[in-house]
Amino acid sequence: MFPLDGMKVLDLTRVMAGPYCTMILGDLGADVIKIEREKTGDDTRSMGPFVNGESACFMMINRNKKSMTLDLKSEKGKNIFLELAKKADVIVENFRPGVVKKLGIDYETVKALNEGIIYCSISGYGQTGPYSNKGGYDIMAQGMSGLMSMTGEPNGHPVKVGISINDISAGVTAVYSIMAAFIQKLKSSRGQFIDVSLVESGLAWSVWESAGYFGEGIVPNRTGSRHRVSAPYQAYRTKGGYVLIGGANQRSWEKFCQKVVNRPEWIDDPKYKTPKDRIENVDDLERCIEEVLVKKTTQYWVDRLDDAGVPGGPIYTYDETLNDPHILERGMVQEFDHPVAGKLKTLGIPSKLSETPGKIRKPAPLLGQHTEEILREELLLSEEDIQQLLEENIISKEPLSIQK
Amino acid sequence: MKPLNGIRVIDLSRILSGPYCTMTLADMGAEVIKVESPAGDDTRNWGPPFIKCESAYYLSVNRNKKSIVLNLKTEEGKEILLNLIKKADVVVENFRPGTLDRLKIGYETLKKINPKIILASISGYGQTGPYSKKPGYDIIAQGIGGLTSVTGEPDKPPVKVGFSVADIGAGMWAVVGIQNALIAREKTGEGQRVDVSLLDTMISWQTYLASNYFASGKNPEPQGGAHPNIVPYQLFESSDGFFNVAVATENHWEKFCEVIGASDLKDNSKYSNNANRVINRERLIPYLQDIFHTKTTKEWIAIIESTGIPCGPVLRFNEIYEDPHVLAREQVVEVEHPTAGKIKMTGLPVKLSATPGEIVSAPPLFGENTREVLSTLGGLSNDAISDLEEKGVIKLGSVPAEI
Repeated sequence: MFPLDGMKVLDLTRVMAGPYCTMILGDLGADVIKIEREKTGDDTRSMGPFVNGESACFMMINRNKKSMTLDLKSEKGKNIFLELAKKADVIVENFRPGVVKKLGIDYETVKALNEGIIYCSISGYGQTGPYSNKGGYDIMAQGMSGLMSMTGEPNGHPVKVGISINDISAGVTAVYSIMAAFIQKLKSSRGQFIDVSLVESGLAWSVWESAGYFGEGIVPNRTGSRHRVSAPYQAYRTKGGYVLIGGANQRSWEKFCQKVVNRPEWIDDPKYKTPKDRIENVDDLERCIEEVLVKKTTQYWVDRLDDAGVPGGPIYTYDETLNDPHILERGMVQEFDHPVAGKLKTLGIPSKLSETPGKIRKPAPLLGQHTEEILREELLLSEEDIQQLLEENIISKEPLSIQK
Repeated sequence: MKPLNGIRVIDLSRILSGPYCTMTLADMGAEVIKVESPAGDDTRNWGPPFIKCESAYYLSVNRNKKSIVLNLKTEEGKEILLNLIKKADVVVENFRPGTLDRLKIGYETLKKINPKIILASISGYGQTGPYSKKPGYDIIAQGIGGLTSVTGEPDKPPVKVGFSVADIGAGMWAVVGIQNALIAREKTGEGQRVDVSLLDTMISWQTYLASNYFASGKNPEPQGGAHPNIVPYQLFESSDGFFNVAVATENHWEKFCEVIGASDLKDNSKYSNNANRVINRERLIPYLQDIFHTKTTKEWIAIIESTGIPCGPVLRFNEIYEDPHVLAREQVVEVEHPTAGKIKMTGLPVKLSATPGEIVSAPPLFGENTREVLSTLGGLSNDAISDLEEKGVIKLGSVPAEI
């Protein structure tokens, strides 16, 4: 039994934000039907690296879904979609605002057929406001939500976060909003429209930095790896690498001086006495700490920090992260069998429920792998009907592996 | 009417990850009772900045909640808490794993007094596994989860993401887990435990970088302002600042070359498709960069935007909160606070058409609702409340005058 057993999702999304959202719904038990453009499918299907011709990126965020192809621009294709929508609980799309209206599959149209529909649109800038029709990708959203301006070295260029953070934040925001609407629907049987944007999802995460700006007009600068109001809380050079230290409160600072670096005299040094002093003298503090830390390796200092009970850790590269015993024990790396790509690793589920946990039940689908099954089972179409649709290129022959 | 109306949350969490989770639940209509120790949530003292005497940190993630003060180290304090939990749906905590058991208010105890209770625990490393007892902060999770290794400029010291992304991400996963458990409870009638960690959050977000790694065995490198698989998709310097541009289709590439005055690139086989542009990135990007140095950010955005190719500025906070689109989307909300006065907050990132969330109340004063909650929900008389206050089990805090 899964928490979202019985939830039917029609997934019109492509690339990242939307597929990430529907993957989570699928992980938690929802029945997700991914509707793809015939012939080419989701754009990520043609993005490398490939495993036996299947895109590794696509397979990562499209597990636990079924795939059907459908030409939504044709009248017949549209009608098939609307028939499926009558029986669905949720529709998720991430076209540019206005596209679903043009296709005749927008919220108002679906709502007239199915009052309980939860219709979630994810876009760069939202469905309203002056920028709504602009194209917006993750990087623009990182730029506009202020994230890039505060990430990077103080005197260096702004840098983007190394993962597609605004795509993901929009995906997760969409998930919890869909669930809230679903909880509401269980009580009232009514659905609603959900409007999520990449810019706002990222902006909503900058709570502390926004608070500082609203409070005293402080515009957050780039601080490298340093914390804005707490020290020592950053990456320090060691012999051959770096170590992260989170000495956020007075007690861990004192333990750090006594038990980690063996410099008890720092505790009473007027330059470092209070958190405020340490922030004011953060450059000086960094120099003093690094003088000690560069003498030994990262592992040595991580062990010392652990023994002293001071939060600390290494900066892992991906091979280290994804082979770490703790991460493996937490089930964050899992394997599944893919019909074309073979045995494949994928990331696990970070929200662990004790009674009804999510599960990776099936690999990412081949393009159109389930088209005929869905038309047969959901819409009760005959073999002749399906043949007809194939001939008219409304759907494509399955299964289709986009070989590259 | 809001989606989580009728859901009561006892919030034992402090600082950021837990409070962000419970704020999100409260924004969507849950009744959140924040239980603070007699010392209060640590962030009440974190500043400057302060707005009057309230810390901006605290104010940023505690709206729409009530605050009561309970000393959980006393038997009576614990008893009051358990009484409240009997009438609650959800408990959220972000102590170090093991702390609840030590206080004798662990999941097994809670389940006994209320089988429907959902306990969500947020921690650095999770409730299980070899690191579970280690203290874990946001920066440490960013480092171990691989995020630090892919953020920053190549060959420069590592940088952390400019805000506490692991804390907030874990808070959101807890929201997802709690809502899941609420939906499951509709069917089973029983609650469950939700276990979320900062580190698992970081890992779950690696997505395509992890798939690249699983497929190739190669570690991704930091890219500065660029994308590993798409070129050009990155930050450029203009004559007066920076801007982002993303050319993700071949059709866009041709238009892009034309409008920036580099039509010659269009016919160059080295750049004929995205794969070739990724391979010849080192050659192409400096060339484009030279072109972009000739005009201002505003000029380039106007030029590129006219083609429909996604592009945009790198805004700082003073620019964000004056931006007409951000304001039109109601991303700045003003709330009246009894001591801090009019305070601004970030708005809700999700718009629901029928039952939208709402900011109905300012972040509570320390212990603002102790009396109200204990007399209504706790069923205690005024005498009993005064008695508990004298013993130091509770604090009543100040109740603001009507505004």
